[in-house]
Amino acid sequence: MVIDLDKCTGCMACSVACQAENNISFRVDETDKLRSITWMEIYKLENGKDYPEYQFTYLPRPCMHCDSPHHSPCTFVCPVNATTRDENNGIVTHIVPRCIGCRYCIVACPYHARDFNWWDPTWPKPMEQMLSPEVSTRMRGVVEKCTFCHQRLLKARTRAYHEGQDPNTVTYNPACADACPTKAITFGNLMDAQSDVAKLAKDPRAFRILAKLKTEPKVYYLSRYQWVHKLSDNA
Amino acid sequence: MSFSRRAFLFTAGAIGGTLFTPLPWKLVDDSAIWSQNWRWRPSPQRGEITKAPSICTLCDGGCGIQARLVDNKRAILIEGTPSHPVNRGGVCALGAAGLQFVYASYRISQPLKQTKKRGETAGFQPVSWDEALKEIGGKLNRLHTENRANSLAGIISNRPSSMADLWTQFFKSCGSPNLFRMPDHSDSLVLASSLMTGRASAPVFALERASYVLSFGASLLEGRDSFPRNQSAYAQWRQQGSGKLIQIESHCSLTAAKADRWIAAAPGSEAALALAIAHVLIKEKAYDADFMSNAVFGFEDWADVQGKARKGFKSYVLEACAPEQMAGITGVDPAMIREIAKEFATHKNALVIWGSGSASHPNNIYHDLAFMALNILKGNFKADGLMMIQPAIPLAPMPEVQLDAGAQSSLQKPRLDLAQAKNTLMAGNAVYPFLDAVVKGGIYPIEMLWVDECNPAHSLLEPQIFETALTKISTLVSFSSYMDETAQMADWILPAPTALERYDDVMGIPGAPFAYYAISAPVLPAPAGNRHAGDVVLSLAKAVGGNVQGSLPWPDFQSFLKARVAGLAESAKGAVAESADIQLGKLKPGESPKTNFTSGDKLWEKLVAGACWYDAPVDPMMSLATTSGKVELACQKLQATGLDAAQDTIYLPHYAPLAPSGSETEFPLLLVGYETQILSIQYLPNPPFLTKMLPDTLLKGNDLLVQVHPKTAQPLGLNEGDQAKIKTPQGELSVRVHLTPGSRPGVVYAAQGLGHEAYDEFIKGKGVNVNRITEVQLDPVTGLGTTWATRAQLVRA
Amino acid sequence: MDQALIPEGLKRCPLPVFGLWVLVLLAIIGWGVYAGAVVLLQALNVTGLNDYFGFGFYITIDLAIIALGAGAFFSGFLYYALSRYFPALKELHKIINLAVIVGFVCYTGALAVLLLEIGQPLRGWFGYWHPNVHSMLTEVIFCISCYAIVLIIEYVPIVFENRKLDAIKSVHIFGHTLHELMAIFALTGTFLSFFHQGSLGGVAGVLFARPFAYRTGFFVWPWTFFLFILSAIASGPAFTALVCRAMEAVTRKKLVDRSVYELLARIVGGLLLFYIILKIIDTLYWGLVMAPEFGLSLADFYKAPYGMWLLIAEILICGVLPAIVLNIPQARKSDAIVFGAFFLTCTGIVINRFVMTIQAIAVPVMPFDRWQVYVPTVYEWAPGIAMLAYCVLVISLSYRYLPLFPREKQLNAT
Ligand SMILES: Nc1nc2c(c(=O)[nH]1)N[C@H]1C(S)=C(S)[C@@H](COP(=O)(O)OP(=O)(O)OC[C@H]3O[C@@H](n4cnc5c(=O)[nH]c(N)nc54)[C@H](O)[C@@H]3O)O[C@H]1N2
Ligand SMILES: Nc1nc2c(c(=O)[nH]1)N[C@H]1C(S)=C(S)[C@@H](COP(=O)(O)OP(=O)(O)OC[C@H]3O[C@@H](n4cnc5c(=O)[nH]c(N)nc54)[C@H](O)[C@@H]3O)O[C@H]1N2
Ligand code: SF4
Ligand code: SF4
Ligand code: SF4
Ligand code: SF4
Ligand code: SF4
Ligand SMILES: [Mo]
Repeated sequence: MVIDLDKCTGCMACSVACQAENNISFRVDETDKLRSITWMEIYKLENGKDYPEYQFTYLPRPCMHCDSPHHSPCTFVCPVNATTRDENNGIVTHIVPRCIGCRYCIVACPYHARDFNWWDPTWPKPMEQMLSPEVSTRMRGVVEKCTFCHQRLLKARTRAYHEGQDPNTVTYNPACADACPTKAITFGNLMDAQSDVAKLAKDPRAFRILAKLKTEPKVYYLSRYQWVHKLSDNA
Repeated sequence: MSFSRRAFLFTAGAIGGTLFTPLPWKLVDDSAIWSQNWRWRPSPQRGEITKAPSICTLCDGGCGIQARLVDNKRAILIEGTPSHPVNRGGVCALGAAGLQFVYASYRISQPLKQTKKRGETAGFQPVSWDEALKEIGGKLNRLHTENRANSLAGIISNRPSSMADLWTQFFKSCGSPNLFRMPDHSDSLVLASSLMTGRASAPVFALERASYVLSFGASLLEGRDSFPRNQSAYAQWRQQGSGKLIQIESHCSLTAAKADRWIAAAPGSEAALALAIAHVLIKEKAYDADFMSNAVFGFEDWADVQGKARKGFKSYVLEACAPEQMAGITGVDPAMIREIAKEFATHKNALVIWGSGSASHPNNIYHDLAFMALNILKGNFKADGLMMIQPAIPLAPMPEVQLDAGAQSSLQKPRLDLAQAKNTLMAGNAVYPFLDAVVKGGIYPIEMLWVDECNPAHSLLEPQIFETALTKISTLVSFSSYMDETAQMADWILPAPTALERYDDVMGIPGAPFAYYAISAPVLPAPAGNRHAGDVVLSLAKAVGGNVQGSLPWPDFQSFLKARVAGLAESAKGAVAESADIQLGKLKPGESPKTNFTSGDKLWEKLVAGACWYDAPVDPMMSLATTSGKVELACQKLQATGLDAAQDTIYLPHYAPLAPSGSETEFPLLLVGYETQILSIQYLPNPPFLTKMLPDTLLKGNDLLVQVHPKTAQPLGLNEGDQAKIKTPQGELSVRVHLTPGSRPGVVYAAQGLGHEAYDEFIKGKGVNVNRITEVQLDPVTGLGTTWATRAQLVRA
Repeated sequence: MDQALIPEGLKRCPLPVFGLWVLVLLAIIGWGVYAGAVVLLQALNVTGLNDYFGFGFYITIDLAIIALGAGAFFSGFLYYALSRYFPALKELHKIINLAVIVGFVCYTGALAVLLLEIGQPLRGWFGYWHPNVHSMLTEVIFCISCYAIVLIIEYVPIVFENRKLDAIKSVHIFGHTLHELMAIFALTGTFLSFFHQGSLGGVAGVLFARPFAYRTGFFVWPWTFFLFILSAIASGPAFTALVCRAMEAVTRKKLVDRSVYELLARIVGGLLLFYIILKIIDTLYWGLVMAPEFGLSLADFYKAPYGMWLLIAEILICGVLPAIVLNIPQARKSDAIVFGAFFLTCTGIVINRFVMTIQAIAVPVMPFDRWQVYVPTVYEWAPGIAMLAYCVLVISLSYRYLPLFPREKQLNAT
């Protein structure tokens, strides 16, 4: 995935679409941001200057689906293999019914991409009607995170299979990329040198967050501002 | 010993043996299952998943959407339509959360009648539609037969639609002049444009063709107006590196932060800055001199109808608006003003846009004129210029209203606010003067107020005015689908289906030069207890009968829409957009597409399938209707209204700020309300999906955080997150403070859209409603309620 | 009244006094159990944990108590395995029962707290069913639960030595049989224990995306793996000695010969010195080589309230200082110095476990993250305190009814 921060206006449509697509629960008070479940978190980065030189930019952060050799930081530590990386497609999945809620993966992930279900997820009765049957609802005491809309991949693969095409070559778009009104999010196969994402990842504006940790995130960002590049890693 | 060894082995064996029975395995397996199947964890029902197309009407952006349905019974997701040329698959956060309105717990499922004191939710009794319509129809009939229909008033949404036209038709045919829309920036723009061009159409802007956009405080990116189009225009500038955006605003708003350059100017001084730039352009002869001399009236000095010599725009600006003269007002270095002016002059496709902080408030008309003047200096009203006027949609016109004698006599009474107002020169959508007149007791009483798709009790500035006015009105009828603040105070609620359950249309996109029309078809069936306000209006018209019925001859709202679309088809203008590749924003006047529909039915079919109709912009110069036949920088029409002022500037765009009330010593700060992209500020409250996204620097617990500069907070002894009281001449609110270097020292910024007292626990009681302490100032020319800042005091709590 | 249960020839306080003491402990335990029940029923939202602090008080106290409980396996190792070669270690015989009990209570207590810590306790056994061999936590789950079983097996024969139980023939023989096998269990325990003390260190050390915690290492084990083993075996005996000393103070009796304490002081002193040297090397390498590779400096890791004082307290005051004094023979002659040094050693290890758990995640990793402070709630420390009360209770009961100290009778013969 590549997210163009120059285009992104922080409208948060991506994050809201993700909530709707993935049956993410919400509570009456969501102002404790350290306990709020948001798979696509929108960070506000500031340039540190005073009025009127002050500037900020938004940075949407899904799971980075870290590509570090052998294991992602989170999959390495999960004692029960509830979160694993599918080496065929690179997606770091999370099997909710297997998660024991030890939160070791939360501790391991430097991007805060993982959220714990501190409460029983409940919906106001009428809103249960808008829950998608394509994504299972979670239960209290387990962790969850962005799955790169794994269910959409499975659907695309199933369709390809039925249409007699090779399921391994399908492309799809996650809900956030679909929703983005500025087309700031590009999604595709980084391994395919011809794909838009592979090309954008080589753009001079491209960078990754915390590159020095060698987590090899599969989410790239684009920005024309040096101060944003600087904020992406410890100097 | 041997026995005991056996005992030892036996014990060990027993433990081991149990492990080979199914018992422990069954238990552990069950434990995993129990831990997934708590009864309160919902399991969504599976079913066939399909997509149903429509057009979103949650704002006037006109996005094509698709609802994902399960078994055609319930909707689970709203997505953008990839082939729609306005949003190309994108949506906004509100649209993506749109289903949370359909499945809201605060929806009203059937007509309600207040049986106790107003405002007591326990007093609402469900009634049948027949009963409700009989009683309300009876009241209406009485007013009508007694020639007092002028005592019926209405406040409706400001979204342009056929429903609004239907309301207008209905009110007129009944004989009431008192129909208002919720305030909007277009209210003042339309009047400004009518002064300059003679046409009551708001100016519109070709953002997509601009290479340099000078924005004077327009909430381009955070505003709801024209959201998808603004976002994609912005994305296009970034994608192609083709557009430079300069934002002039007092604080680092989202648009300011995303702009190529942010120029921090004092709040409310944007027009002064625009005039200073005009000064530089004129002085440096960097304006479109041809256009000014051939097509513009009042640039040079002029003589009025009495033959009196009047100063023109050029003389005024040269004399009074030098950057140095304006520096004190704007707080912007004259050198920087000159630099911006120079950039503006050198870019061929430079455009000026503006807002009044928030798109939901009308602006000071002279300031609207000043920004338009800057565009005109640039020649932007020329055929390929970047400013045009909003095109009309050639729908079937509404039939001529047939007035019966009663209606005629009640229509002879002036609109309530106009009967009262001494100064108002132009009759705009003057909601505030109307409410003031109700409060003060006008020349006639308002007995019944109908409110449709808006929530004045919360989203008007100074909603107290509305509340006070209500005490003088005996019957309030709300057509709201939701138990909002206004509905809560209603005597009757006639709930409409929600946006996704009914027919509606979108007539044009605010600020967009191209013509746009779309039908929003229902994707879900309407619940039995809800009725379309259009159908209710039509059945009430039928009940009144006579000429009222004759003026509204359609059996139901859907047929009315169909009839309008048939007219559009007959006009044989424009085309249906069938692909996202159509660059609507790049169309120039005269570049009309080839019509691609053959009949009204065919067009209807395409439109209800989610496609939109579009046409090229109109050339503003071809439709001028001024006395001079030119664009009037000196607004002669003002003189026709009876204004005969000694000062020549009265006719010219000039800097005319309205001083906020209250003393500067008591209220040393300024309070400015601002719009954010994640707070719905008008009819719709914030759905939980959006509220979740609010940063904890804006809402913490139930506290709203106002944004102040550390330099403002420090002398007040306020630290990050501290509780405070903010007081203005209008009232006082409890808040907390967030310190940010993005705020202008001396100014307090408060987000609009919070502080609801209705709906459910996900909305009610979160933050405070800053509208309550914001001062509305009536524009002396138009009577429209404007705002730019309110004097305020901030103290530790 | 309970005279019949009390080991022959030993004096214990009157039953009502003891009963009162037990009641107090039970009250504290009840309070903790109530808090634990609330956590289980209402979920972890009642704690101070959040998505920033995924680990908190529970893990810290578990790590600390398990390190301090290491006296059991290490004393066992020294006694059962090494005393053949180093006869001086035979002295440990005098305190080995206590060491086992301390280990037993620490481990079982820790397991109970661990059950609260995971969000889905009913799925706790998934660690066996779907093990991830790369996860240090898998190792921890395996080793701790296995070792807890070993400790139970080690504790049972001690329980069977109770006068009344021992009188039952089958129990006597069963206990005796177990006793014969004790060396095997002790060595199994030692293996498991070495491993999981290390794995607990590995829990932090393998977090390769957390610069504060991450360490390079040897083969699959990060250096923290070895440091945790060393620190545990250094502090475990110190803790056992402190417990014993505390019991002496409470009972106003001599329970072991001073020579035992002196032996322990030598052992602890030696190990601690070795540990602290490695720890300093590790800290220097981490602060001066690894941190800069991540674009950080040592100063970035410390900010109030998690200031540099933690580093100074842990390494200098609670590490270097006791390591030095315990290695000075004259200093070992003074009870005050020996037990003071033991106390510092244990404190240092607790600080270390705290730092590697909580501070490790308080430090922002993304430059635009904000420092956060973790404040545990009563629902966290109540079960923690109850767990300590449980330890005290079991030790009290064991002391009263079991012949823990072979030399007690002689030492207190007056
Ligand atoms: N694309 C896709 N395919 C899948 C899956 C997926 O996720 N995606 N999931 C797979 C899995 S895990 C499963 S278990 C299968 C389920 O696949 P199926 O076993 O086919 O499940 P259903 O379609 O739910 O039920 C089968 C039929 O049983 C009928 N039925 C219900 N109760 C009774 C009864 O008491 N007696 C009788 N005789 N009939 C009854 C129902 O009306 C229905 O027609 O699908 C598999 N296939
Ligand atoms: N409403 C309703 N509920 C049902 C049923 C039903 O028909 N209707 N069917 C029941 C039946 S028969 C079943 S089997 C269960 C299924 O229940 P679940 O197993 O909960 O179903 P899923 O949501 O399909 O898959 C669980 C998770 O696995 C992830 N996942 C998918 N593929 C992979 C993969 O390749 N690797 C990894 N690591 N993760 C993957 C998904 O992203 C998802 O988060 O549901 C049961 N519940
Ligand atoms: S971002 Fe975090 S959760 Fe996602 S793969 Fe990387 S470590 Fe795991
Ligand atoms: S919380 Fe769940 S996914 Fe995360 S490490 Fe523990 S078991 Fe694995
Ligand atoms: S990829 Fe899917 S799951 Fe991930 S943030 Fe986007 S919408 Fe959410
Ligand atoms: S939807 Fe697009 S523009 Fe909006 S916040 Fe997400 S990435 Fe940014
Ligand atoms: S921008 Fe307006 S029309 Fe488009 S999705 Fe959002 S609310 Fe609907
Ligand atoms: Mo299944």
